[in-house]
Amino acid sequence: MARIKLDISRRSFLKGGLATGGLALMSPTASIDSAVGMLSADDPWYREGDIKTTYNVCDVCPWRCGVVVHTVNGIVRKIDGNPADPKSRGMLCARGQGGVSFMYDPDRLQSPMIRTGERGSGQFKEVTWEEALDYVAAALLQVKDKYGEEALAVFGHTSGDHWFADHFAQAWGTPNAAKPSSSLCLSPRDEAATLTYGSAVGGHEPVDWDSIQAFTLIGSHIGEDARNTLMQDFANAQARGAKVIVVDPRFSSVAAKADYWLPIKPGTDTALMLAWMNVLITESLYDAAYVEEWTEGLEELAAHVAEFTPDWAAGITDLPAAQIRETALVMAENMPAAAVIPGRHVTWYGNDSQRMRSTYLVNALLGTYGREGGMYFNKSVYLDHYPLPPYTVTGSSGGCSAEPGEESAELPLGPTGKARADGVRESFMRGPTAMQELIDPMISGDPYPIRALVAYGVNLLNSIPNPERTIEALKALDFVVAIDVLPQEHIAWADVVLPEATYLERYEDLWTVPHKTPYIAMREPAADPLYDTKPGWWISRELGMRVGLEDFYKWETIEEWIDKRLVSVGSSLDDMRAQGGVIVQKGKPYLEDFDGASPFHTASGKINLYSEELAEAGHDPMPVYEPTDEPPTGYFRLLYGRSPVHTFAKTQNTPVLNDIDPENEIWVNVDAAEQLGVKDGDYVMLENQDGARSGPVQVKATQRIRSDAVFMVHGFGHNSPGLTRANGKGASDTKLQTRYKLDPISGGAGMRVNFVRLDKEGV
Amino acid sequence: MEYAFLLDLGRCIGCQACVASCKVGNELGEGQQYIELIEKTNGEFPNLTGGWDNHRCFHCADAACVTVCPTGALFKEDGLTRLERDVCSGCSYCTEACPYDIPVMYEGKSSKCDGCAATVSAGGSPWCVGTCPSAALEYGPREVIQAEAHKRAEAMRDRYPNAHVYGETQAGGLGLLVVMPDDPELLDIPIDPKTPFMADAWQKVVQPAAVGITLGTAVLAGAAAVISRRNHEQEMVVIEAEGLVRDSEKSEEG
Ligand code: SF4
Ligand code: SF4
Ligand code: SF4
Repeated sequence: MARIKLDISRRSFLKGGLATGGLALMSPTASIDSAVGMLSADDPWYREGDIKTTYNVCDVCPWRCGVVVHTVNGIVRKIDGNPADPKSRGMLCARGQGGVSFMYDPDRLQSPMIRTGERGSGQFKEVTWEEALDYVAAALLQVKDKYGEEALAVFGHTSGDHWFADHFAQAWGTPNAAKPSSSLCLSPRDEAATLTYGSAVGGHEPVDWDSIQAFTLIGSHIGEDARNTLMQDFANAQARGAKVIVVDPRFSSVAAKADYWLPIKPGTDTALMLAWMNVLITESLYDAAYVEEWTEGLEELAAHVAEFTPDWAAGITDLPAAQIRETALVMAENMPAAAVIPGRHVTWYGNDSQRMRSTYLVNALLGTYGREGGMYFNKSVYLDHYPLPPYTVTGSSGGCSAEPGEESAELPLGPTGKARADGVRESFMRGPTAMQELIDPMISGDPYPIRALVAYGVNLLNSIPNPERTIEALKALDFVVAIDVLPQEHIAWADVVLPEATYLERYEDLWTVPHKTPYIAMREPAADPLYDTKPGWWISRELGMRVGLEDFYKWETIEEWIDKRLVSVGSSLDDMRAQGGVIVQKGKPYLEDFDGASPFHTASGKINLYSEELAEAGHDPMPVYEPTDEPPTGYFRLLYGRSPVHTFAKTQNTPVLNDIDPENEIWVNVDAAEQLGVKDGDYVMLENQDGARSGPVQVKATQRIRSDAVFMVHGFGHNSPGLTRANGKGASDTKLQTRYKLDPISGGAGMRVNFVRLDKEGV
Repeated sequence: MEYAFLLDLGRCIGCQACVASCKVGNELGEGQQYIELIEKTNGEFPNLTGGWDNHRCFHCADAACVTVCPTGALFKEDGLTRLERDVCSGCSYCTEACPYDIPVMYEGKSSKCDGCAATVSAGGSPWCVGTCPSAALEYGPREVIQAEAHKRAEAMRDRYPNAHVYGETQAGGLGLLVVMPDDPELLDIPIDPKTPFMADAWQKVVQPAAVGITLGTAVLAGAAAVISRRNHEQEMVVIEAEGLVRDSEKSEEG
């Protein structure tokens, strides 16, 4: 059904009001003049003055929906989806709706600050930007003189991360730039994809939802994971009658919508997929013609999976063999429109690249790649980069904004000849810089000293596992600068704090999305920055100019940068604005669009069912099920996920979102809870296998989870008094993740290897 | 013209975008919500079904809240139940009268969805509808919505054999037509919402009294007097003591 959108021109408001006979605010006889005269403080916001509409890209989560922002009298009032945007299509999730509230959070950082007390004390003095920037520049130059450029680590997250973790870091010359969206989230997925079919999955997973007939979600919680487009695509596909298979130890929102829910034992997904491959191959259900034409290694794979029958997997996964076989048949009946969806946040057990590879092999057997209703090929946007001199060092931060195909075959070296300090090639095979592996070098100086850290928009203590170790590193460093919007917990450990303007208050580089229809989206400010805050691009430039990187900042304003890039597509900021804030290009989604050429960027041009590359590096060339450690007696495996109302550890303090969902709960199976003598609604403490304890958290005793695991939403349990609403509310899963298991292929940090017990004492 | 909302519980995935859009668009205060998503689960692990109760005003044609509202703050318009918070006196009768337990008192005044009267009059769609990613919400002329609801219920019967349209008969017909995949009671939504005693008492007893009609019995006069005291707690006690509650319940069951 068509939806009426708010017509935001003021004239039509009045017209509309009069046309419907006045309703509440206007009597039927009122003239426009007297109607205007009636406006009062109690009028709805859209009648308080002229509405200014600007285009933007939502930054509340990394999905980046295109939005239109309504501003009245200089105050941002409402954000809606931009109908022309291929991600939002005019709609937004709860978090996107909460963006206004994120901007007007009174707890925001308001002024540059320099530390006055001990690190961690949270004592600062407010200073001018001039002072703060000079101070940072001097400190960075000192570290460079003493230890070389590589001694600076740059961590970046959120939509301005490019200015720091890519542009600044590469211009400066450090290979130690990292994004949490790589090794704490997507690295296994994208490295496994590159090894298997030659390109990364890409930030917008190329699932051909419009014509999908059956699909499988593995630990992927659409609806709780509130990525807007996915919720739309899912609802449409499900309503169309597509078969939904959900593999999850928990009866998630999406499991409740599934045709088949497989309440799998945590950590055994690879066994399930091996059994699916066994059924597809031994019963000759796979797409033989596709496999013949586009894959290599079927014979080896067939031999490999011969013993992995549904009966074998049943004993491991705790699922009935019949259900395993039945779901394989559903996929086969609907292939190739039967994708196994590559999820996000796949760093679970440390064997994650192999698990992801097994999902791709199931997809290959079903012939989904490049087929309608399967997985399309996304195409990168055609748009020039801003002309810059060659960077001092090539980037390797990856992240969900990375273009597919960017790899790190040759390790980039910094100016003093040092490669990444994260142990790549030794403790893991490949992939973008692993953030968590840079923490030890900060403490130990091994393989070489990392002495300074720029942290842009990353919550260091609520995203990197083992936060105690991170604190040790923060104590050990010579210099820490934090650039952020909110006083997150790690801010207290910085020497200098630089307050950033939110996405609603600044321009940003263009957003380029590899997609079925690749597109460019723009961000322009909806209002002036509040307080003494500045955009990330400006901060990056001011720092660059102070540390001798003028050549990389030969532009005065970001508008100039954007306009220059847009020349290559015959557009400009003004033109884009006139066109609705988005430029959509043509894609090449299907095999037939390649006229017989291979779309797979592997050496053979085929999908590697068997991976020579893995074999050569000493890894299993085909996925093998490896058991993960079992919880000790009295402990549960700690699983974590999302609330649809929150993003990471970023939005718990946002007034509107906090109001809707103020704290997390610990999901415990009802029977397990009863055995422990805890009731729904009780508060308990959680203690992990190493004695790390959470704050009090409310029990949700539910049928919706297996009895060997507990579940909580990530991002709560803040420990920062400056976050007045979120501080101390709920429990932090990161705090309970004192361990992680390194994925030896991608460098991902598997975090589902921690166990907790419920403790009624000390609440 | 009569308007209506469509709520498709086959599609709703509980994402709460509607809640947030409503709060921001309607400038609701801290702790104020017109929509609440309540997770429901039936069965025992692993044989479970579940869904989301969208706790929001059903816009009853025979709206008990309107019946009991002494000030006219609650009224029917275009098939929807409007609320003018400025006019509300804070008596809180509506909170007791509503068979769906919808209105709450917020800062001393009734608080519930008014169908985005102001936004719609300004040419927009209700805030929740405009943002729902699952297209579980729609708004339009009642006939169009009703047809769409039947189409959707029909289309989901392969998966949900009991799918039907809820709200065509309840409380005189609802302005929120629900595409219900299964038995509404699984979501704790009553199949047959009871007009509770308050509305009944008001309609049969207190309203006539209030407009000055002579009352025959002490019971009725007592009830009227009690209500005029506007002390909710006491009202309940007295009305119950007078036997009105049981009588009205009986009459409904019969
Ligand atoms: S999914 Fe929600 S939070 Fe993420 S970008 Fe879209 S609207 Fe913003
Ligand atoms: S926005 Fe739509 S899908 Fe989300 S909770 Fe509301 S009705 Fe359900
Ligand atoms: S659901 Fe309750 S509040 Fe809404 S119209 Fe019906 S009686 Fe009134």
